[in-house]
Amino acid sequence: MNRPWVPVVLAFALFVIVWKAIVVIGGLPPYVLPPPEDVAERFVSAWLDGTVWPHFVTTIVEIALGLVVGVGLALIAGYGLARSVLFERLASPYLVAAQAIPILALAPLLVLWFGNGLASKVVICAVIVFFPVAIATMVGIRSVDDRLIELGRSLRATDRQILTTIEIPGALPSIFGGLRVGVTLAVVGAVVGEWAGASRGLAVLLNLARGSLFDIPLMFATLLTIALVGVALYLIVVVLERRLVGAR
Amino acid sequence: MSFVRSRPTSFAAIALIAVLVAACASSGSSGSPVVASPTAATPSSSAAAAASASPGSSGLKTHLVVGLGYIPSVQFAQFYLAQQAGYYQEAGLDVEFQNKIDPDLIPLVGQGALDLGIGDGTSVMPAVSQGIPIRYIATIYGQFPNILFAKASSGITSAADLKGKKIGTPGRYGSGWIFLQALLSTANLTVDDVQIVEYPDFTQRAAVEQGAVDAATGFSNNEPVQLERSGTKTTVLHVDDSVPLPGPGLIAGTKTLDAKHDAIAGFVAATLRAMKEIQANPAAGLDAAIKAVPELASDRDGQAAVLAATVQSWSGPAQQAHGLGAIDQAGWTTSISFMDKLKLLAKPVKTEDLVRSDLLPAGD
Repeated sequence: MNRPWVPVVLAFALFVIVWKAIVVIGGLPPYVLPPPEDVAERFVSAWLDGTVWPHFVTTIVEIALGLVVGVGLALIAGYGLARSVLFERLASPYLVAAQAIPILALAPLLVLWFGNGLASKVVICAVIVFFPVAIATMVGIRSVDDRLIELGRSLRATDRQILTTIEIPGALPSIFGGLRVGVTLAVVGAVVGEWAGASRGLAVLLNLARGSLFDIPLMFATLLTIALVGVALYLIVVVLERRLVGAR
Repeated sequence: MSFVRSRPTSFAAIALIAVLVAACASSGSSGSPVVASPTAATPSSSAAAAASASPGSSGLKTHLVVGLGYIPSVQFAQFYLAQQAGYYQEAGLDVEFQNKIDPDLIPLVGQGALDLGIGDGTSVMPAVSQGIPIRYIATIYGQFPNILFAKASSGITSAADLKGKKIGTPGRYGSGWIFLQALLSTANLTVDDVQIVEYPDFTQRAAVEQGAVDAATGFSNNEPVQLERSGTKTTVLHVDDSVPLPGPGLIAGTKTLDAKHDAIAGFVAATLRAMKEIQANPAAGLDAAIKAVPELASDRDGQAAVLAATVQSWSGPAQQAHGLGAIDQAGWTTSISFMDKLKLLAKPVKTEDLVRSDLLPAGD
């Protein structure tokens, strides 16, 4: 299709029309469900008057650091899981068990252990990002054709050369699959962490709008900001993937 | 090809979902079911509804859903006592309690999903200014329950002593934050004249105990009571004399007030009756709370202390002059100006937009 953005715009327009229809047909007051134009107006005013900015910056920093820590550890662990049977046997039960515990239940404990500041949010983001990226890395590394590795070894390639020229390129498509999930989960992790205890961040603004100011359009504008952060991060991963792996 | 063929079906499904969701939301906002009366809110039909729902007018009881605070506790003893002693039943009511957090409770009351609830006066003002149709109809806490507490050894005895001190607070929001600004204003100070330390996990009591902060915001029936019980002499600063902020009270939606006026007046009267009884005999309130929440029995002395502090907060100057539940309208007017100065009101509001006194028992 020559204009790939057309379906995206049409889908968004349909979403807004359905939203407006629900408000009008249901006769819903703005404090239950504000109409899209109210939310759009509040979104713009909250950004222009500086209401959103400090909270946005806080959340972005938490997400960025959480991603660096979570993805970094997940890549190492994923490689270990793929290449060491002993490590897989030792670590797998704990990884699966940790994944089964809802982050909502874990977040207050992590805030207690790491404090109300940046550290606890980074840890929560890292924890939530870790599992999908580690599993994707493990699957990706295992999917590398053994014959390629044998060929490399027969050509006297070092372990490092095999890793950088055969294993990582071979595993990249799978790793990027994990990253696509991981970046969106990082946004969830930051919001959950702020919910458990923070003085600044988009989740704090969400609570202020809902519980202190009863400014429901601002609450929706904040939700829209959170959603846009998730979409932007996802698109960054897609662009990186296309550059490094090619379109899939 | 399948995309083209399925398009009308998909659109129809989306439209159907939209209509169903709207219909559900619409029916949900019409209020909870009333056994003895219709819930229509037009002036003429609401009068008929109120008449048919009049307490004792028939064998049928009016069902009221009442939202209390998030956690069932001894602080709601008056409601438990009125329920257990049959005061609500005598008023022709079938009362159901639900526990909700304040931010959820106010929109639900405005929407009519809850008939009544407990709401902070300082929340009612921004909520009404944002268009949420609720009214404050009876005072529960005649003294503003938010306080500032410090160890007596800190030397803090008035707001003026707070200059340059470290003050702990859960965050820069809500009634605690409004209270702190009001308290500091009494000594011509602002939050810029003190060091704010935030405790979003509500651990400011431990921070005061350990000396991490000089003082902290809290509630008159919580942190000071616990500190005193653990043997720490405590200083408590109130704000009522200078800025009479309205404390938590009973709130109801405007449509519900039209449709169930007499039933709600009956609820208010029955609740105030239980409050008077507990004032005279706190043990009755404690027993009712333990019967409603058996877990409280494990710390009977502690709960008795919390209840004693709670009962003390029920009565401020307006309630001492006019009886429990009385609304200090002049105090509300002063508070509106203060909240406006803090830029917490989206649109201007007047006292008559916020409170209604006609549901209080005559003579109170």
